[in-house]
Amino acid sequence: MKIVILNKTKNELKVRIDGEGHTFCNVVQKALLKDKRVELAGYDIPHPLTSSPIIYLRTKERSNPVKTLRDATRDVLKDTDAFKAALKKALKEWKSTA
Amino acid sequence: MNIQIIKKNDISLRLLIEDTNAAFMNTLRRIVTSEVPSMAIDDVVIIENSSTLQDDFLAHRVGLVPLKTDLDTYNLPEDCTCKSEFGCNLCRVSLALEAETEDHTITVYSSHFKSENPVVVPVSDRIPIAKLAPSQKIRLEAYARLGKGKDHARWQPVSMCAYKYLPIVIVNTKLCDLCGDCIKICPKNILTKAGDKIEIRNVLDCTLCQDCIDACKKNPKALEVSWNENSFIFEIESTGVLTPERILKGALSILEGKLKEFLDQLVVK
Ligand SMILES: [Zn+2]
Repeated sequence: MKIVILNKTKNELKVRIDGEGHTFCNVVQKALLKDKRVELAGYDIPHPLTSSPIIYLRTKERSNPVKTLRDATRDVLKDTDAFKAALKKALKEWKSTA
Repeated sequence: MNIQIIKKNDISLRLLIEDTNAAFMNTLRRIVTSEVPSMAIDDVVIIENSSTLQDDFLAHRVGLVPLKTDLDTYNLPEDCTCKSEFGCNLCRVSLALEAETEDHTITVYSSHFKSENPVVVPVSDRIPIAKLAPSQKIRLEAYARLGKGKDHARWQPVSMCAYKYLPIVIVNTKLCDLCGDCIKICPKNILTKAGDKIEIRNVLDCTLCQDCIDACKKNPKALEVSWNENSFIFEIESTGVLTPERILKGALSILEGKLKEFLDQLVVK
């Protein structure tokens, strides 16, 4: 993974993420859309044979887009941790009943 | 998030996951099928082959044999410290295959492989590789390595990984006249007649096909099929190379790695 910032203004951000694809971008985009500070968030894969998607993000006034994107990524990270914990618990319960 | 195990055995795992979203489920699914590494034969040196199968055909068949994988000992060749094109004993396993027959026809099975590491062996002894007629012979040396499903399907650790929404089937007893058409048409047999009402036996099997709604002659319909947008049934069926829980845990740590790497690189200035 290598991040290239293509464009950055007060409320806009365009980043290219080399070496990733739908797997990474879709989950982050959906997390961004849940954020109330976000006006618009999307991603595009310019060519299906390359793995360099571009995430585009526009925030409402006074919100730093980089910070918003970091917060969305952290939200997905929290989901991952919650999944890990829940899976561990479920496996433990399964072992005790089986 | 809450997880409940519905079914679990050596090769398959079925989970009910509540309080999550489709994007997260899909990301996990995509990582399971294309990014969790597993072991498969990548290079084949054919020393002798007098069978009717051409060398490349034989190499292809050998490559598709699933091998039991040890993710903790072996490295992906691109991450290995050896940085060698040929690999070292931390990123490569060699397997030899030797079979010949004198006077009768034989089938060469995956059990004929002799692996240098007794842990990395075919998942089954009964995978046919080739048939040999009298006096034919195969002798080859194969090199297995870790790889990812996105590079070739032989490195995909699962034969199936899918999810669906948690189905909700409701029968309106006031409208239902117990004609039984919905019971007959349901491909998963989830409906049953109990006394003077239709009951739902195993709602988790529902495929949301909505055939029962089409079969119902009532207007408005006496049944309602919907789904919970935040609950999923997630199923993994391993080829046997790794246990399903190991695959899922692997997928989670790959996703975690991606997110942390992204956070490391994206800094607020
Ligand atoms: Zn190596």
